[in-house]
Amino acid sequence: MIGALSRHRPLALLAGVVLAQVLLLAYQIRRAHDVRLIRYWSVEASTPVARGGTWLFSHLGGLWSGYIGLRNARTENEELRAKVAQMELRNRELETQANEAHRLELLLNFRQVHPEVQMLAAQVIEASADPASETLVINRGEQDRVKRNMAVITPDGIVGKVVEVFHSTSQVTLMTDKNMGVGAMFADTRTHGVIKGTGDPQPVMDYVVNDEKVAVGETIITSGEDRIFPKGLLVGVVASAKEGTPFEKIAVRPAARLDRLEDVIVLLTQEELAPGKPGTPFAVSPVPPSPPAEPSAQTKAAPARSLSPALARTNPDPKADSSAGSQANPSGNADNPAVVRAMPAGKTDQQSAPAR
Amino acid sequence: MASMLNTGLQSEQNIEVHKFYGGSVVLVSFVALILQAFLHKYGRWADVVDLPLLVVIYFGVSRRNPVTGLLLGAAIGIFQDGLSHDNPIGLYGIAKTLVGYVASTIGAHLDTDHPVARFVLTFLFFHFHQCVLAFTERALLNQPAPYFSLHLLLDSLISAAVSVFLFAALDRLRKSA
Repeated sequence: MIGALSRHRPLALLAGVVLAQVLLLAYQIRRAHDVRLIRYWSVEASTPVARGGTWLFSHLGGLWSGYIGLRNARTENEELRAKVAQMELRNRELETQANEAHRLELLLNFRQVHPEVQMLAAQVIEASADPASETLVINRGEQDRVKRNMAVITPDGIVGKVVEVFHSTSQVTLMTDKNMGVGAMFADTRTHGVIKGTGDPQPVMDYVVNDEKVAVGETIITSGEDRIFPKGLLVGVVASAKEGTPFEKIAVRPAARLDRLEDVIVLLTQEELAPGKPGTPFAVSPVPPSPPAEPSAQTKAAPARSLSPALARTNPDPKADSSAGSQANPSGNADNPAVVRAMPAGKTDQQSAPAR
Repeated sequence: MASMLNTGLQSEQNIEVHKFYGGSVVLVSFVALILQAFLHKYGRWADVVDLPLLVVIYFGVSRRNPVTGLLLGAAIGIFQDGLSHDNPIGLYGIAKTLVGYVASTIGAHLDTDHPVARFVLTFLFFHFHQCVLAFTERALLNQPAPYFSLHLLLDSLISAAVSVFLFAALDRLRKSA
């Protein structure tokens, strides 16, 4: 290059001088918007270079960042997987807490709806090791004023009763236990019967005559005759019904989710619960006003007296009989107020007896 | 005219490089610039002859050195731009730089002492100078300068005629061999 310049020194000098004057001219000349021509040229000359450089650097930067990204992707992926696992675990914990909070909210609402009834919230802490035994253990006991034969319910429906009381825990027999019996009646027809556990998830309702028209899905509530469960608590619905000998065979689907109990309520008294407020989760069915006395209704609502032997058979605890005020034998005594309260107004034992 | 040009063409070995008295080149250039600027205010007829251009042509073909020729052309052109109040610096400078370079280069190969050769060279350099000027004005200044016109033709003929006498006068500044 230098050799060529020295060989053509005059020509190179000419080019230099002319170029210098062109630049000098460009410096003086102004184009549109009062921009000097040399500045215009400079911008025009540098713009393609700048664009090319920008394009080159952006692509090189993209390639480099892509390379670095690929290198870091594996590590980042593993970290993210670990985070996802942690988040899933945390999410499950939160879901569990949310479910627990929901259950506690239901219990709290139940208590607020029925402030007149003494009740105690309890947690299920243990189930029976015997699969044939439908029992569970709650974290409330003698120190919490829990006694035998107290009703255990949930806002959805009845659960069972307390059969053993320890210092800080209690054993509860579910309504599906073979030795369990609950005085019940249909919410619509007021026909009485006895819920008997079978050891299966679905107990049966016994002592309902074949003449009774029982529809699947019909609601069953407690009658209060057993002196354990207050009258009007939701028991469940009819799962199936067919004629039998001598009584109709009615399978009952419990309203409470007995297979996934976690929080329950122990009723400290047998005081009758008032109907729940609309919109609350309290599932106890309101007891409609007693219908006028009719011969057919009388025959349907009569089993109070004859329930006594059935209930007596279902109660395995002789001590409970005495302590609970002969809950297993609530009848046999026409003066028993519980039995009288469970019957429709204007009826007597004498009226209902022939129906059995 | 061709025969006269041919008589002026000699071999490169026979072409003499003329020397001038010290300061004469600068003095003549300065006088030409001042005279051009002085006569300009007396009317358009003064613009017919571009005295600085004739000086550049004369010293270019006489010195026969492209470097000094282009530098002299550049200096005279820039000075002429400086004296004109509306020309950007470099407009005449570029044109006269190229004229000085080409004149020196041609002068190194031709004997330009013959009056006819001087007339022809001046005529041609006048239009070459005008072309460069027009190109520069069009390209840089966005001004529609003419490359050629009858008016320019007349000016070039007058300048060529003046150059014959002017160059003969300037020959007296040469050092004798």
